[in-house]
Amino acid sequence: MKPDELDRVLSREAEIIPSSGFVRSVMAAVRSEASAPPPIPFPWKRALPGLLVCIFAIAWSVVDAFRSPARAAVSVIPQTVTHWIDGVVPLLDTAQMYGAEWVLLGLLLTFAGLKLTLHLAGGRV
Amino acid sequence: MDAREDQEDVDRVLAGDISAFERIVQRWQAPLVNLAYRFCRDRSRAEDMAQEAFLRAFRGLKGWRRDAAFSTWIFAIATNFYRSELRRIPEGTLPLDSIESLAALNAELIEPKDEDRDRAVRRAVSALPGKYKDVFVLFYFHEMDISATSRSLGLPEGTVKARLSRGRKILRGRLPQFLGELNLEEAQ
Repeated sequence: MKPDELDRVLSREAEIIPSSGFVRSVMAAVRSEASAPPPIPFPWKRALPGLLVCIFAIAWSVVDAFRSPARAAVSVIPQTVTHWIDGVVPLLDTAQMYGAEWVLLGLLLTFAGLKLTLHLAGGRV
Repeated sequence: MDAREDQEDVDRVLAGDISAFERIVQRWQAPLVNLAYRFCRDRSRAEDMAQEAFLRAFRGLKGWRRDAAFSTWIFAIATNFYRSELRRIPEGTLPLDSIESLAALNAELIEPKDEDRDRAVRRAVSALPGKYKDVFVLFYFHEMDISATSRSLGLPEGTVKARLSRGRKILRGRLPQFLGELNLEEAQ
């Protein structure tokens, strides 16, 4: 089949006519949407202290990991990974003390998932 | 379509007059339903998809920057939604065979042989990988306007041209198979 023949076939698409109740149905959905209460905003005020504590804890553990480079030097694992592990281990210990290890693990997994998603999405462009 | 009418109606909706949106729906219902139909080949689903596209347009009216035409904006919204919807639930068996759909078509007089071949071509387009199918659907919907196609898809014109060319090659390779399937169906 020649390209112009293909163009002719695909351009000759028949039109469909929307059903008579289509506009009414759309407007009913629109009115229902407009009358719905606004979505509940994210409670930033309540979440902020917890988020700040988490950020502080992660920053502290990273700083702590850099303060003790001797532990990482003997390892065959790349230094950046050992720093990261060294940072996470005390964090987990601290979290375990307060019974919040699952919360911390959840946060770490979310962070890892987010990083991976962003990495994959960035690669697609 | 009068761009000024769209702008005035959008202003009215944003000022709180929801009924002005009805005029937008009336003006754009046929293009949006037809575009959806070209993606899913199912009349009922096309209307559902177009309805959701209108809802998304309604929710996002504030986001319409007036530097782009309303048509470009609404087609981009609809196209994005249709593509994601088709990825979520791919189109089923082509209801081009369905009497109900065909009855609603403003069918032109086509010789039977041509009709079979056209059907095979459309099936072959539907079976193309998503990125080529999207370009094909939009390109022929916009009456072979590369620039309108690229705006609707948010892709550079060069990419649209490249995908059209590659898609045509794939189509030419696969078309004999689809024609063969049609002949088999008729023989049964």
